[in-house]
Amino acid sequence: MNAEVLVTGESAVAANSGVSSAARKRNRDEVFVEYTKSVCPVCKVVLDAQVNIREDKVYLRKRCREHGQFEALVYGDAQAYLDSARFNKPGTIPLIFQTEVRDGCPSDCGLCPEHKQHACLGIIEVNTNCNLDCPICFADSGHQPDGYSITVAQCEKMLDVFVASEGEAEVVMFSGGEPTIHRHILEFIDLAQSKPVRNITLNTNGIRLATDKRFVAALGERNGRGGKSVNIYLQFDGFDERTHREIRGTDLRDRKRRALDNCAEAGLTVTLVAAVERGLNEHELGDIVEFGLAHPAVRSVAFQPVTHSGRHAEFDPLTRLTNSDVIGLIAAQRPGWFRADDFFPVPCCFPTCRSITYLLTDGTPGGPDFGVVPIPRLIQVEDYLDYVSNRVVPDYAVREALEKLWSASAFMGTGTTEEKLRLAADALDCAEACGVNLPGAIADLTDRAFMIVVQDFQDPYTLNVKQLMKCCVEEITPDGRLIPFCAYNSVGYREQVREQMSGVRVADVVPNAPELGPWVTESPYGSKIARNGTSNGPGIAPDMTNVSRRAVRR
Amino acid sequence: MSADSTQIKACCAAAYGQDAVALVLRESYHPGGLALTRRLARALGLRPGQHVIDVASGPGATARLLAAEFGVTVDGVDLGQSAVDRARSAAQAARLPATVRFSVGDAERLPLPGGMADAVVCECAFCTFPDKAAAAGEFARVLRPGGRVGITDVTVADGGLPAELTTLTAWVACIADARPVSRYTDILAVAGLRTVRVEPHDDALARMIDQIEARLALLRMTAADHLMAAGVNVDAVLRYTAVARRAVADGLLGYALLVAEKPA
Repeated sequence: MNAEVLVTGESAVAANSGVSSAARKRNRDEVFVEYTKSVCPVCKVVLDAQVNIREDKVYLRKRCREHGQFEALVYGDAQAYLDSARFNKPGTIPLIFQTEVRDGCPSDCGLCPEHKQHACLGIIEVNTNCNLDCPICFADSGHQPDGYSITVAQCEKMLDVFVASEGEAEVVMFSGGEPTIHRHILEFIDLAQSKPVRNITLNTNGIRLATDKRFVAALGERNGRGGKSVNIYLQFDGFDERTHREIRGTDLRDRKRRALDNCAEAGLTVTLVAAVERGLNEHELGDIVEFGLAHPAVRSVAFQPVTHSGRHAEFDPLTRLTNSDVIGLIAAQRPGWFRADDFFPVPCCFPTCRSITYLLTDGTPGGPDFGVVPIPRLIQVEDYLDYVSNRVVPDYAVREALEKLWSASAFMGTGTTEEKLRLAADALDCAEACGVNLPGAIADLTDRAFMIVVQDFQDPYTLNVKQLMKCCVEEITPDGRLIPFCAYNSVGYREQVREQMSGVRVADVVPNAPELGPWVTESPYGSKIARNGTSNGPGIAPDMTNVSRRAVRR
Repeated sequence: MSADSTQIKACCAAAYGQDAVALVLRESYHPGGLALTRRLARALGLRPGQHVIDVASGPGATARLLAAEFGVTVDGVDLGQSAVDRARSAAQAARLPATVRFSVGDAERLPLPGGMADAVVCECAFCTFPDKAAAAGEFARVLRPGGRVGITDVTVADGGLPAELTTLTAWVACIADARPVSRYTDILAVAGLRTVRVEPHDDALARMIDQIEARLALLRMTAADHLMAAGVNVDAVLRYTAVARRAVADGLLGYALLVAEKPA
């Protein structure tokens, strides 16, 4: 080997000129913290990736031999990212796995025996059709002639797969497309309620809820039947007309209000779900929380930075919103109610994926007697959910309650979440500290408790296999697999399943980032796809990492 | 006045000058929580098999933690019978009765033999002892030569609190009787204990103030009528907590971890 090849750039010049003082070693401008795997956002080939910290922010970087280097912001606060590592719970092994380990993560979904966690939440997408054509839709749904919708028999098989894996499943979410326009949606709910599935959540844009009171009443009748809840996960992005036009393509404000009022009338519990995009509706987070607190149907808000999979507005991967950014915005917009440290990472999945806080509230925002107390100011949450430091916790029943509350299966309106809230409230130990025992009053209060969830789903830029391996939100596929949500949307499984189900060729979707312009073209659904279609032949995410080869070639 | 409202008054009647914060916090919670307890234990260099005395052990969370995570045996001493009872049953539930014992006793006259303990811990309590010199003398007596005492406690700036904060001291006994760090080290030195480590943990105090405010807000939501019957003015209390928060931010009020050693 020629020693000269080791000398490059500046130092080679300096050595040759004999001016050694000119050759100064420089420090890198970043701290290297993780080595992992990801995918190329263009061709979806599996790549080595590294996570680095630069100027207090966390970035994931990878290089594709064909398409070059890509980098994306994955967490806006490096200290919070590193601190969150303590909030990581040992995973639970599902009863059965659906696939085998063959090519490694993320190509074997799922769940394969290397997966670190069971499914807290199973999602059944009942169709690809939608009564909207939102400019932002990770599922790439809409008024499309070439999609699919599942049959009752397929739904039953999907539920059975989930139950076989979980024993008794906590939550199934029906999604789409738009699940409320599937003509069998009530049958699907009935079917799920006939199985060992404790709770059902319906993920909807709310148009049918706003316009079809009989349908809402039918959901209301099913809510609580046999002790099983049906809750509503309502797309709700803000109050500005521009927010609606740019995220949903149309002004839905009136319909959202009518949907909510109809839900309140039918006794349905609603989570407002906001897709949050930089420069669009990031100023409306506090208003959404305040609106939710005031509306009788609403018991929680979920903020999701827009997932740059599927269809979405052009974005910059280096300045995208992350969980810590969203939490910072919430705190900045309602400083009297929140601080960033009221939010705690969720330990069941990877702790950087999701953060939650709960509020105890009284009265109506703006009213004279309105009171709000974040539960983490009453209970030292880290004394229970920091699994690294705590070999002893003050009370294991309280830990169990907090585990269920800080979980992907926590939904307001479910019996489990309400029960655990009461248990946690009992542990506020005001009785012990103050001699004040007010279980009755606290129980009343937990009936009005309010949850705020912040969840950053991964896209083909941010995908980190480390997080995927512990994902607890799974897409249940008609062919009987459980695929981690972010793998489904970012690695190529969504395209695979749609192609299988519809019989129509579906190209791999590519994020809408300006730097990918040279490689992409428009898909029929409004998303971006690689110009040469699916370039990698059969199989999901072929592996281009350095596995299966001798470490040193001779 | 019902028993309940009397208790609330005892808990929260800051407007009337009772020792509200000490009552809210002393038993169940100390600034810094379990994380600061672990830090204290590591600063003491606790090793399995060692014997530790926890002075003002409250419901025993610290004693259980030390026994379970550091493998030491612990004698907890507390002035209150009810706290000792609760600590005993919690230790039983945690299956630690053999390594964690509790007894009723006064910090100024510890009911334990001298020269036996490898370490003494005293969390958020030293500042409340009326005769601090006597308590420090007891720490020195029960420690073996080379043993260490670990204290976490409220501190005030050198020269004490400025006049405008004396309203605060009327309200909270542990602040009223808190001392500058240098005063604590002097008291320990007089007892023959040489301070080997001092760490500021003021943010733990700020978080404690948050917790007081949150509990008051909760009480207002759940028991407004009780509070009114007890004559508690929550707004007045919250004015005090705001003063306290400012004092912490200005460095006038703080929280510190101290480790002192008995000469070998």
